Amino acid sequence: MTVAAEQAIDVRARGLTPIWTCAAVVFLLCSLAIGVLAGPIDLGVGAVLESAAAHLHIPGFTSSLTPTEEAILWQIRVPRVILAALVGAMLALAGATYQGVFRNPLADPYLLGVAAGAGLGATIAIAYLPEGLRGQRALPMAAFVGGAVAVMLTYAVGRSAKRERDAATLVLAGVTVAAFFTAWQTFVQQQNAETLQQVYSWILGNIPSTGWSDVVLILPYIAVAVVVILALRRVVDVLSLGDDEAASLGVDVRRVRLALVVAATLGTAAAVAVSGLIGFVGIIVPHAIRMVSGVGYRALLPLSVIIGAGFLVLADVVARTALSPAEIPLGVVTAFFGAPFFALVLRTTRGGGS
Amino acid sequence: MSAIELQGVTVVLGGRPVVDGIDASVAEGEWLALIGPNGAGKTTLLRAIARLLPFSGSISLGGRSIRELPRVELARLIAVVPQEPSTPPWMTVAEYVLLGRTPHLGALAKEGRRDREAAAEALARLDLLEFRGRRLGTLSGGEKQRAVVARALAQEAKIVLLDEPTAALDIGHQQQAFDLLDALRAESGLTLVAAMHDLTLAAQYADRMVLLDSGRVAADGTPRDVLTEELIASHYGASIDIVPVGGRIAVIPRRERRLTEP
Amino acid sequence: MLRFTALVTGALVTAFAVLVAGAAGGGSSPASFPVTITASNGKVTVAKKPRRIVSLSPTATESLLAIGAGSQVVAVDDQSDYPKNAPRTSLSGFTPNVEAIAAYRPDLVVIAYDPKGLSGALGRLGITVIHQDGAATFKVAYQQIRQLGLVTGHEAEATRLIVRMKAKIAGIVRTARRSGGGLSVYHELTPDLYSATSKTFVGKVYAALGLRNIADEADAVGTGYPQLSAEYVVSASPDLIVLADTVCCGQKASTVASRPGWDRISAVRTGSIVRIDDSIASRWGPRLVNFFRAMSSALARLRQ
Repeated sequence: MTVAAEQAIDVRARGLTPIWTCAAVVFLLCSLAIGVLAGPIDLGVGAVLESAAAHLHIPGFTSSLTPTEEAILWQIRVPRVILAALVGAMLALAGATYQGVFRNPLADPYLLGVAAGAGLGATIAIAYLPEGLRGQRALPMAAFVGGAVAVMLTYAVGRSAKRERDAATLVLAGVTVAAFFTAWQTFVQQQNAETLQQVYSWILGNIPSTGWSDVVLILPYIAVAVVVILALRRVVDVLSLGDDEAASLGVDVRRVRLALVVAATLGTAAAVAVSGLIGFVGIIVPHAIRMVSGVGYRALLPLSVIIGAGFLVLADVVARTALSPAEIPLGVVTAFFGAPFFALVLRTTRGGGS
Repeated sequence: MSAIELQGVTVVLGGRPVVDGIDASVAEGEWLALIGPNGAGKTTLLRAIARLLPFSGSISLGGRSIRELPRVELARLIAVVPQEPSTPPWMTVAEYVLLGRTPHLGALAKEGRRDREAAAEALARLDLLEFRGRRLGTLSGGEKQRAVVARALAQEAKIVLLDEPTAALDIGHQQQAFDLLDALRAESGLTLVAAMHDLTLAAQYADRMVLLDSGRVAADGTPRDVLTEELIASHYGASIDIVPVGGRIAVIPRRERRLTEP
Repeated sequence: MLRFTALVTGALVTAFAVLVAGAAGGGSSPASFPVTITASNGKVTVAKKPRRIVSLSPTATESLLAIGAGSQVVAVDDQSDYPKNAPRTSLSGFTPNVEAIAAYRPDLVVIAYDPKGLSGALGRLGITVIHQDGAATFKVAYQQIRQLGLVTGHEAEATRLIVRMKAKIAGIVRTARRSGGGLSVYHELTPDLYSATSKTFVGKVYAALGLRNIADEADAVGTGYPQLSAEYVVSASPDLIVLADTVCCGQKASTVASRPGWDRISAVRTGSIVRIDDSIASRWGPRLVNFFRAMSSALARLRQ
């Protein structure tokens, strides 16, 4: 019998422990509750609960809200909260994934040029679409296509490089492509200076009140991305040893990296298509989780999904209630609160993390 | 059939042949020490065997060319202990050693009971059980290096390639590690190829030695054959004395010139 | 012989009278130069009647052509799309190129926006620049028209234009207020719900008509252009919605009505959604009257 078995010692990796999972889920549920209850129009906790029960067809409950309030709750507020949760989950997950795949703690979901590509797509749509098509679905579609094309171009540039085709090469290719697309985007924007306000507003990022249609639109992409990435989360831990060591452990590094990048890109492009370029979520959330818990990617990735969702829901609550009934662009809120939050985490946790 | 067979192996990096037409073979259960001056191509050769580099010529394991082996199967046959391993500071020792089980896991890389047992075994062998919950960032250089060896052992591969595996270890832990590798060799028939700087240590443990210089084989044989004053002088540019010790030999550096006469 | 002399004298007198009348009635007052006005760039002195005016302000373009100075205007910027016969060029008012402007050899340049020291650069080339910033009140808008009249030698026409504008607007306001007040309005600048409060020029139009602007309560910061929350707009249920984002962003009654929850809004239910041309809503020139008129008809329809 082995020494270890004699001592009945079990050697395990730190997966999703009950403590962290529970804490994360509680955080998300609280955020969702706050999101649904808070807003420029005060609906009252009891009335909201009654309305929810009525919608779930629980016998004995009827909603005491007026039709207008019902519309506000179920057609504007609830879908917006869900959208914020989806976008926040995806951005945090993509950021954590890129940090693992590229072994770069400063990686964010926009690393490979998604942001620049989507920005260019959106700017072109805003500036050049014929009048009849403007304001329709064309803008999110253009942003999505722009983001996806940018990442494909990054891969093409990376493969054509004479350097070793490793993670660092891909990142450099991403920087190149992003710079190129940003230059074009700025040019188009300046050529059509009357679009400045619209373009800037989109770039700042916001969760639109477009109802369930946007939720339905991006849900498939985000769901697929989340499933694929979470399925591969243990392999991301192997990747943190570097391309060579991971390869010597039998991992097909290029193929796994491609799968993860494609999944993360599709999900991010979908999120960006409806919400613009919301910054900070993709870097802050994974880092904060890591600093508090110190876990590896097999736990960090699923936790990023949950905490990222809750974080953005709360940020959106601030965006729509701080100057109520006016709105603050969400990108401003995430930057404003993300930075000091990060500093607080840095100060209060021991340096046990990376 | 030899465990590892190299024929005409050449690796060109940056336009230069870093490894140039190497023929060698390693028998099963053998301990081969790769020695040679800095830049001789030892690390590059090890990486070529692990198929981490493109090479020309043929490398086969037990008669099968490594070019035809799927990546996962190659990883089940060969474990690598690199010279500068990447040890993520946030990872626990347990998690790190468990990574060695990756070639045996499925696509989702979920460990089973067998895997956890293998990891526990490796930790116990390297005296690391009490460290298993500690993060790599809190370990000393020597403890980290033992963890790397433990990871390679957990992989349960028949061939282990080691690149300067004990550079950071104190003399006691160095001996412990090598004694362990030797014992495992006897128990499970491990084949070891180790690049080593310490010529005496290499002489004490290795069955055979290959001296590399400028990418070519300069000598191939038992330690006694390879460790001669002439060969060491001409390839290392060092003057040494060879001294017999307990059935093996030791290599003692000899100071030729003194700046001041005694 | 006498009859011939009488004819000739009569013709000469008539010709002279026409000349004098033309000279006096045409608004040309050669004696009124040099003239000094106070614009957004301080005191500006125009030495003599300008013959080669370049306008980089669409509002100023409309005003200049409305007061009869069209023959003195040689070039207007790419955004000056009204009136159609304005000499439109590719000059940009947002990203101006000093050399391109100077190539027209202007003796007066009118701008609404002074980026990167444009007025300074033109001044160094010896070109007179008048900067007429966006007007915040009707008074300032009228004053700008008057100033343009002064500096182009069309003071009388400018005065007449202002009088006409004021009269028409006063009439519209009287009619609108007579049919009762208390209605609320939402002015939409962009599809992501940026609006304009009563602090802004366009907001003052609504205030003059006795309408309550729902954006007023949402401007804690005081920029004049808050972004409203969809919940708030739905809850406030404005009686009239004015869309100023029809050209830039393709918004119309049907797109607004299809926004989630907006079918509860009073204006959507009664079909009181007015499309106003983006350029009319964003300028402060002679077509202010058109804006008032459009609002007035919308209110009339609403009250039926």
